[in-house]
Amino acid sequence: MFKGFGNVLVKELKELARDPKILLGMVILPLLMFPVIGSIMSYSIQSAQEKAEKTPLLIVNNDGGNWSELFINILISSSVKVSVENNTVITNDTVLELMSNYNTTQLIEIPTGFSTNMTQHFNVSETIKATLSFYAVFSGSGAFESVGSSVIDNLASEFNRAVAPDAVKTDKSTIIKGEIKEGVDPAALSGLMISQSIALPITIMILLTYSMQIAATSVAMEKEEKTLETLLTLPVDRFAILMGKLSGSIFVSGVGALAYMIGFNFYMGSLTAIYSRAGTSLDLVSLGLVPSLFGYFLLGVSLFVALLSALALAVIISAFAEDVRSAQSVIGYIYPLIFIPSFLLLYLDINSIPFAIRIILYAIPYSHPILASKAVIMSDYWTPTLGIIYVAAFTLLVMYVASRLFATEKILTAKLKFRGLRKRGRTPAE
Amino acid sequence: MSVAVEATDVVKVFGEIHALDGLSFTVSSGEIFGLIGPNGAGKTTALRVVSTLLLPTQGSVKVFGLDVVDKASDVRRIIAYLPEEAGAYRNLSGWEYLEFMAKFNSKNEAEIREMVKEATEITGLGERLKDKTKTYSKGMKRRLLVARALMNKPKLAILDEPTSGLDVLHAYHVRDIIKRYVQEHGVSILLSSHNMLEVEHLCDRVALLNKGKIVAEGKPQELKEKFGSANLEEVFAKVVGLV
Repeated sequence: MFKGFGNVLVKELKELARDPKILLGMVILPLLMFPVIGSIMSYSIQSAQEKAEKTPLLIVNNDGGNWSELFINILISSSVKVSVENNTVITNDTVLELMSNYNTTQLIEIPTGFSTNMTQHFNVSETIKATLSFYAVFSGSGAFESVGSSVIDNLASEFNRAVAPDAVKTDKSTIIKGEIKEGVDPAALSGLMISQSIALPITIMILLTYSMQIAATSVAMEKEEKTLETLLTLPVDRFAILMGKLSGSIFVSGVGALAYMIGFNFYMGSLTAIYSRAGTSLDLVSLGLVPSLFGYFLLGVSLFVALLSALALAVIISAFAEDVRSAQSVIGYIYPLIFIPSFLLLYLDINSIPFAIRIILYAIPYSHPILASKAVIMSDYWTPTLGIIYVAAFTLLVMYVASRLFATEKILTAKLKFRGLRKRGRTPAE
Repeated sequence: MSVAVEATDVVKVFGEIHALDGLSFTVSSGEIFGLIGPNGAGKTTALRVVSTLLLPTQGSVKVFGLDVVDKASDVRRIIAYLPEEAGAYRNLSGWEYLEFMAKFNSKNEAEIREMVKEATEITGLGERLKDKTKTYSKGMKRRLLVARALMNKPKLAILDEPTSGLDVLHAYHVRDIIKRYVQEHGVSILLSSHNMLEVEHLCDRVALLNKGKIVAEGKPQELKEKFGSANLEEVFAKVVGLV
């Protein structure tokens, strides 16, 4: 039954091992891609922690008693940089003004009655607890936004350990788009936003890779079947041929972006509903953390131009591949440019990433829909707008290069090769 | 009789390879001219230069007096090119494919209909033209493509290995189409083939190509007599010193 198995296996391994596309795609790329992602993630976690520790913590002392003084002294003796402001009523306006004055995004209010409650906790009943109010600005940028919240939890625990277990509890509120949302824990909110935003990069990855494969196959098929060769000898402008191919792709992009937006809108609605039914106070719609109609529009345009740039690139690259198989393999090398930004921006705030890598991410057109999706939720319309302008310019450049190449015989004679790895491959005379 | 193709000292270099090395030949109007030779002789390269796909490195090619480099757009209006082993769009029906190609040659609906009707008759595929081309056999596909190349009655049809890989029946049909079209419409044909026996019966004149150069040229009968050979294969073998 297995007669000849070994022979076939050895042949198969030889063929696969000698194919540079498999070596690069299956071995070298994963070996490089994951360490790169891991290193950047590790750097970002570290920098988020450092940032949280270095960010000045503003204490608004509305209590003025002994216990509040003790709490502040404990904070000062820890590594946290503390500033203190006395007797200020906490409102939307005062919180924002104070944060702006002290250049911070985190504030703890020691409310009136803190010391009284502490005293009663010890003298009357342990069920009486003193409360601290914590306010943090939510920027919706990354997974490590909750680090600040956890630092506060640690400080409260430290105080409790020093005086009495469970004497102090914290009430957390989040400032979203300049408005205090009472009882919304920034860490929980960050977790919810992350769980929700997982779908975005994944869907974008699928959409981009799938449409690039379709475009590449379409062009490579023209080459393989020699229908392109026939077209090039017809009384038709070569630029018209290129634009015809691209317009087909533009149509596919448009339909893809539209389908995506409809699906995304449904997803946002259904997810908010699930959280509401579970009894949590986190309702993204009432918190204003869903894109506006204009935000949806910008996100759709951003996705459309990114798709278009991907398709244009796929058309050009595949025009220089010998056949469908080669085109699909070559297109595969663009995938890390889609996957790496998607994975990174899923978890990280772009501003927490090292400068050089940040520039690279901005330069990759496929980062921009993901950046746009985060920005529109926070009503930041400049990020998607600038991204759209950049990606549109990139696409025009790619199309210009393509039109120049289509005008020459290179469209027939040029072949993408792995120089050095494969020795054959000269254009045959026949 | 006017000159359909005039190639003069054509050189085409790919890197270090001289695919064409001083190629010169002429094709008269209304003539079937065959470039024949083994694989790698430069036949396809020569046809691609004539059909404006490749630029000659040196030399010149004129089609009905139009230079293929300077007047490429004008040349494309009067030629039809059929690449070797070409396919059609797999998800279009044969009829849709013919209509699509006809629209490049005319904007006039009546003319387009006429071209498609003409091609429909040439193919002999009947009702099968309504099926997607991916369901066609190799022979059916070739008949479709030959019909496409001839349907607008080009002044010059350039056919690369028009019967390559076809069985006897399909090859006979394709050869018959070519002959008939030349007789009925005065179309000039420049074709290539490595099947020297077939070309003997199809072409008015032939040029034998080897390593990018013409090693013999003339009417098949004249060449056989000149080299005292029974067929063109023997002529070629003698010319290149194989026997």
